[in-house]
Amino acid sequence: MDARSRILSRVKRALEDRPKAFLPEHPHLPFPEDPIPLFLERLGENGAEAHLLSPEGAQALLRELAQGLPGVAFGQGVPAPFREGLPPLPPEEAPLGVSWALFAVAETGTLALSSADGRRAQLLPPTHLVLVERERVYPTLLAAFQDLKTLPSALGLHSGPSKSADIGQVMVKGVHGPGRLIVAVLT
Amino acid sequence: MRAKAKLYPKEAARLLREKPGVREAVTGATLHFERNRLRAYAEVPIAEWRERAKALKDHVLSHLDHYLELAEKRLRENGVQVHWAETPEDAHRLLRAVVERHGVKRAVKAKSMLTEELGVNPLLASLGVEVFETDLGEYLIQLLGEPPSHIVGPAIHLSLKEIQKLFHERFGTPLDASPEALAQVARKVLREAFLSAELGISGANFLVAETGTLALMENEGNIRLSTSLPKVHVAFVGIEKLLPRFQDLALFLPLTARAATGQRLSTFVSLIQGPAREGEEGPEEVHVVLVDHGRTALLADPEAWETLRCLRCGACLNACPVYRQTGGHPYGYVYSGPIGAVLDPGLLSLEEAYPLPYASTLCGACLEACPVKIPIPKLLLTWRHRAVAEGLSPAWEKAALAAYRRVMESPTLYRLFSKALRGLPLPQDLLPLLRAWTEGRGPLKPSPKPFHQLWREMEEPHGR
Repeated sequence: MDARSRILSRVKRALEDRPKAFLPEHPHLPFPEDPIPLFLERLGENGAEAHLLSPEGAQALLRELAQGLPGVAFGQGVPAPFREGLPPLPPEEAPLGVSWALFAVAETGTLALSSADGRRAQLLPPTHLVLVERERVYPTLLAAFQDLKTLPSALGLHSGPSKSADIGQVMVKGVHGPGRLIVAVLT
Repeated sequence: MRAKAKLYPKEAARLLREKPGVREAVTGATLHFERNRLRAYAEVPIAEWRERAKALKDHVLSHLDHYLELAEKRLRENGVQVHWAETPEDAHRLLRAVVERHGVKRAVKAKSMLTEELGVNPLLASLGVEVFETDLGEYLIQLLGEPPSHIVGPAIHLSLKEIQKLFHERFGTPLDASPEALAQVARKVLREAFLSAELGISGANFLVAETGTLALMENEGNIRLSTSLPKVHVAFVGIEKLLPRFQDLALFLPLTARAATGQRLSTFVSLIQGPAREGEEGPEEVHVVLVDHGRTALLADPEAWETLRCLRCGACLNACPVYRQTGGHPYGYVYSGPIGAVLDPGLLSLEEAYPLPYASTLCGACLEACPVKIPIPKLLLTWRHRAVAEGLSPAWEKAALAAYRRVMESPTLYRLFSKALRGLPLPQDLLPLLRAWTEGRGPLKPSPKPFHQLWREMEEPHGR
């Protein structure tokens, strides 16, 4: 017998006389109809900078952030109008990464980023701008997860800038991932 | 990791004597975690969340064979290579094969308690692989050659001063460098490691059976990097980590974050379905090693199986007045604090770990904090009963308890002894057994009158 069958047969034997516990359903939390104000508030509490902008407004914000920088690392899904006039850089070198979120969650102030968008631009630059469409903001994690039809090879949930309190209990930002997270919710 | 749990009482006393700063650092950090947890629990219908999480884990554990087989099937469909390990040796064999096949020279590691159990770092070192712990706290203790002292904050026993000194010696930073400056130095070293390592190693917070999803929680981004940049990712997963459905993460991710650090969600969550697809960035190969290492024995234990619900959030450590005095090191094994005291006897053996269930006042704070309502106080008593039944408790304790019982059963003897104890001056070194206690504390001050007399005097004026 191999390790697999030995482990599984021990599990089966252990459970022979154990009563089977039922599988509970999840309760939906009561949340407001419009999740946007809560989403912006919670992002702020998580240490991110959050804005509600028109696509043009977001493009202006990006140009302002990129001013004086040698270039920007773009996620695959970032639409062409956002890339105009900005030289693309590999994420290892770029001071700014721009991503297109798959969805977002108000309850926790969270952005969901797909591996199909490219993982390095989400993690290596010290500053990260995430764009998300207003209709893609869910009130709760449960509502978002129940609505997911397919899953990418990796889904990254980002809820603020990278941080750590491991050095003498002092909160430090930008330890490994981006130390600055800026979010534009597109109207 | 070699267990020294048997030495707990001695090690705890030694640490308090020789490193008084640890008590201060650990108490400060755990009280901070504890305050955050209480605030985060108060924000949601926590009683309902905990009850539901407990029921869900009980469901998984009572159908574990089904969910393990389902998870294996889904992982394979996702292109993940699945392995099973009963022992650390099994895990070593699998890891060695990966290292040899890919010519691995460098590995980056995400913090994982299971890899501590399995001794992954010493194995990799013996294979000539340079290993980088990438969680900042874990990196600090790797530099110091110490084991983690807390499940969530492995370096909470270190003061800023000690870390400044460590970095001064290692990297030549000034002795008064700010935490920001120190973090930047570590970031630079570890960024280089992320970009050059061929292998990323992680544990997992959860494994979703329905979708074959590995879920990993963190705040720094090191886990996302460790599982994204190297071309091979190996995840070690304890067989108790399963969840039935993807949507169950909607409860367990925020519940774990609230219990562990008081956050609504950890800053980063990685939900990994498999290797990179055509044209994508990410690892070419993903391996999942399903590890037993004592878990099936715990599952078969009719009294102790509930321990397997544990989410490894560390909330019980933060709530524990005993853990706060010393941090995790004296416990002598990977898992410390209340959960370690009930998990280690099951994972090691009672003979190896029997002093740990005594490292508690049975105050019940751990049960109040636990997000999956593990009855830790009850389990502590279960293990104590077993230790006594197996003759593991020391002879002097048995003799002392027998004498105590005789005195307590006879009113005459009780009065005699109570009078004698109040009358004696009790010098500090009267009883060598008490020295560990008296060393850190002032002398006992007996009340001039016994309790039963005080009670009578209190009641008399009311005319009884």
